[in-house]
Amino acid sequence: MATREAEPLSATTSAPIEAPAEDAPDRDHPRFREIGRSIPRLESAAKVNGTVEYIHNLRLPGMLHGRIHRSTVPHGRIVRIDIAAALEVEGVHAVITAEEVLKLVPHPYYGPAFHDQPILALGKVRHVGEPVAIALADDPHAAEQAADLIAVEYEPLEAVFDEVAAASPGAPVIHDVLKPAGTFTDLKHLAGRSGTNVALDTHVRRGDVEQAFASADHVFEHTFRTGKVMHATFEPMVSLAEPQGPSGLTIHTASQSPSFVRSEISRLLGWPENRVRVRTAFLGGGLGAKLYIKLEAMVAVCALLLRKPVRIALTMDEQFYTITKHGATVRMKTGVRRDGRMTARTVETYWNGGAYADIGPRVSQKSGFTAAGPYDIEHVALDNYAVYTNEPPAGALRGFGISQLVWAYERQADIIARALGIDPIEFRRRNAIRNGQPFATGTTVSGLEIDAVLDRLAERMAWHEPFDRGTGTTRRGRGIAIGLKACVAPTSSAAAVHVYGDGSCAVQCSTVDMGQASDTTMAQIAAEVLGIPTTGVHVVHPDTDVTPYDMATLGSRSTFHMGNAVRRAAEDARDQLLRIAAGASGLAVVDLECVDQAIRSKPGVPKFVGMTFREAMLARFGMQAGTIVGFGSYTPSYVKPDAQTGQSTDITPFWMLGGAGAEIAVDCETGRIEVTKLVNVADVGRAINPASVERQLTGAAIMQLGFTLFEEMVFSDGQVVNASLADYKIPGMLDIPQDLQAAFVEVPHRDGPFGAKGVGETGIFSPAPAIANALYDAVGVTTFDMPLTPERVLRALREMERRPLENDR
Amino acid sequence: MRRFELNEPATLEEAIGLLDPDDPGVRALAGATALIPMMKSGVFQPTRLVSLRRLDGELRGVHEENDGGLRIGAMTTLSELERSPRLRASVPVITRALRTLSNVRIRNVATLGGHLGHGDPHMDLPPILMTLNARVRAVGPKGHRWIDMTDLAVGYYQTTLERDELIADVHVPGQPSGVCTAYAKFTALSADDWPTVGVAAWLQIEASQITEARIAISAATERPVRVTATEAILTGGPPTTETFATAAEAAADTAETLADIRGSAAYKREMIRVYVRRALAQALAVRDTGN
Repeated sequence: MATREAEPLSATTSAPIEAPAEDAPDRDHPRFREIGRSIPRLESAAKVNGTVEYIHNLRLPGMLHGRIHRSTVPHGRIVRIDIAAALEVEGVHAVITAEEVLKLVPHPYYGPAFHDQPILALGKVRHVGEPVAIALADDPHAAEQAADLIAVEYEPLEAVFDEVAAASPGAPVIHDVLKPAGTFTDLKHLAGRSGTNVALDTHVRRGDVEQAFASADHVFEHTFRTGKVMHATFEPMVSLAEPQGPSGLTIHTASQSPSFVRSEISRLLGWPENRVRVRTAFLGGGLGAKLYIKLEAMVAVCALLLRKPVRIALTMDEQFYTITKHGATVRMKTGVRRDGRMTARTVETYWNGGAYADIGPRVSQKSGFTAAGPYDIEHVALDNYAVYTNEPPAGALRGFGISQLVWAYERQADIIARALGIDPIEFRRRNAIRNGQPFATGTTVSGLEIDAVLDRLAERMAWHEPFDRGTGTTRRGRGIAIGLKACVAPTSSAAAVHVYGDGSCAVQCSTVDMGQASDTTMAQIAAEVLGIPTTGVHVVHPDTDVTPYDMATLGSRSTFHMGNAVRRAAEDARDQLLRIAAGASGLAVVDLECVDQAIRSKPGVPKFVGMTFREAMLARFGMQAGTIVGFGSYTPSYVKPDAQTGQSTDITPFWMLGGAGAEIAVDCETGRIEVTKLVNVADVGRAINPASVERQLTGAAIMQLGFTLFEEMVFSDGQVVNASLADYKIPGMLDIPQDLQAAFVEVPHRDGPFGAKGVGETGIFSPAPAIANALYDAVGVTTFDMPLTPERVLRALREMERRPLENDR
Repeated sequence: MRRFELNEPATLEEAIGLLDPDDPGVRALAGATALIPMMKSGVFQPTRLVSLRRLDGELRGVHEENDGGLRIGAMTTLSELERSPRLRASVPVITRALRTLSNVRIRNVATLGGHLGHGDPHMDLPPILMTLNARVRAVGPKGHRWIDMTDLAVGYYQTTLERDELIADVHVPGQPSGVCTAYAKFTALSADDWPTVGVAAWLQIEASQITEARIAISAATERPVRVTATEAILTGGPPTTETFATAAEAAADTAETLADIRGSAAYKREMIRVYVRRALAQALAVRDTGN
């Protein structure tokens, strides 16, 4: 479904848009040469031969290694910190506690939405694993030994772990007052609020739910729960800081948000942003873990206090205490008409944010308003509570809260459909929201291809074909689910495209390539505009001294936002080249184009043979020298939702839709689920690089497969019982379904670069409920809690058979 | 991590001399797949590590003995075992079990001696070796002694080995003809997870009667154990589904299972019931298919 893109220059002429090139690499999109092609990643060879840069491998001359001493109690007042024994360890330079931090940073609290997280615990600790002190030594082992020798005495305080209990009256209060970041006007009313663990409550109101429930033929009410899980990035968090002269600081960090790190560190230090330089490299995975401030404030303070470079690198195990995915309790009540149309829905969601807000309140708010699902429901009331508890902080994890909600609304969709005897796909068709209809927030939906996704899902699942239901103790079932996300707003991206003296090109942007192939995608966009091969574009990695601002690499926003900025920057650079060629040839700019690595006259304008970029630069500068800088930025429009009703006419730049279908085999004697087929279908606008899109969908699906079947952080009094990859298992090759498919629907989005939408998270939305729906289909057990561990499934089966397994814990 | 001493002795005698019967911080190091994670997590803080890598020549390989049995050097890696034609010819149950033991990266460095000497109840080979009536030869300052596999583990991560003893090799006796064996394990989390339950079955069947049965379970209990109640039910009975089910009941009833993140004690008892039955059925299928 190719569409024509209006070129800013040619659009002003009366000449027809050029005919498709005959040697176009992509038959479906004949106008494109680089877009829509599965170009191998630019860094593939370097990744294989081990020459790409990771911050993890960086060593600075004379640097010290920091090791964190962490809280052993979930909630407690710090009575005493004894560092004497730690200082005795050979090679130890210092032990930093909050007392030292205060000398440099009088208000040492950070966070993207709330300034609630101290650089090191100040006065009290709020979760097991909270950083209390840092031992700094020449050698990482000495630092570790010293950190172990730090002795902290606590006066224990009552702790609360469950999100519903923590939000209830009488719960121990974790933060004395709420401290929203001053930059957000919508959080201002929370400043100074005390006596509550609810960091942020947001509400969506549309229609009259009570009236609608009263007149509904059926009302369904359930509570769904998901546990806490962790990103398990294979490059654990790592940051280094080095003082630059008396008044500067460079931070090298494995971060998804270098621009944010710069502004937040500057704010903490009271310095202008231009004195803090933040740079990053390839990340060994991000997945939402490496956002905002993680280790950066600690290394910055240590480096400035000791006037030496400092490196802190976490172990895999420490990551379990650093950032997690929210556990959530979702209470969902739905009114349905006899014909299967949903008429009313209330959703009350409690988000277990852990001890510090991080981006949790925004997770609850920005995902929370989609809690009613991709459905046309007239009467909706949604309440979201971002709750502090004494567990490790929760933040962003691929999907930003969406999968917790999809788990609830897609489990319930199947429960309703089965109860009313309606085919699950048909039930979703009957209720699906379509372009032009108002969403729960009052926003008119557009650019959402729900019918096409359902069609493709039905086709790939052979949904209307007979299905082998298994025999004996192995029973088979299948299920589907669809999930929706609104891309986060408001955010902004900027990019520069440089053309050097020899005509070669570079893209400068702060999008972080953390494995999602953004370098290649951005290069393809620039290459398409400039008429050069993708392999000829160099992508400069984020460095706040060099690359322009970007909100962050998160939430599937980079292809859309940064892609637009890169496209505009490339168009700016291209137009400058065209003007040079116009001057040299005497032709009008509108008669010229950049194609096949040169500036040529358009078809039908035969006078000019062409000019390479190098020749253009020579023509402009008189020698092989100079730079052309193209600049582009992109900030989609946004209308802030009403504080009481959550209504907004413009709440998101684009909607993302992901569908999943699963076929499973259940071992009825053990409860173990084997997913034999998993199909993911996404509405992607346009796939800039189809192979990358497929890998993003598949990667997300495998990640969610682990969360669905067995990944769960197990807590005992705030302590993570399984805080290591020996006991917190993630999927391996043998867990991957035999038949794993990704498919996408391409209807170019009005505002996307070449029609592209984001896709990094889409594959994670729906596999969990699809698998649970398949479980019901296979054996008839209804599940409300994730993960679907063998024991949980077997217990449900045995309950149903009225011969329950005994309880011994 | 504190400073520690690392020794790389060239002979077994030298290695034993470096061990210390009184210091739990002195440990021998072979493949290190268990010790290094314990050191990283701080569970084990060594004062001295005695690396065995330089003496692997004398303790490596699968050798045929005059009595028809096999002698396997303790420093033989699990991958070498997996690929050994001798082992496959004589005890194919071990070869089959190795293919799903942890993952290939672990098998490439983990050694048989470490696998047995660590005393971890989740290991796959101890229950199999128990049913094969295998013995280990432990060498210490006063010479060597033989330990039946059944007696090696005495508790959770506890073995009968002295701190200054090392496993030198493992003897697997020649198996009588007509024996069929199987190992069945259940992983509750990822496919390559530690087993939640492992069951080894060894049956000798003559004229549709089980003349001898050996069953060992692991992972679900504090140490791998032979299940005598189950063996008693099987011995003398016909190799039928009914017999196997009754035998499995006995195993589930007598097992003292431990709860952990992989399952409650009740769930593990249930898995023992299922997997004893499955291991027995597999053993029978192995006999019938000769595979």
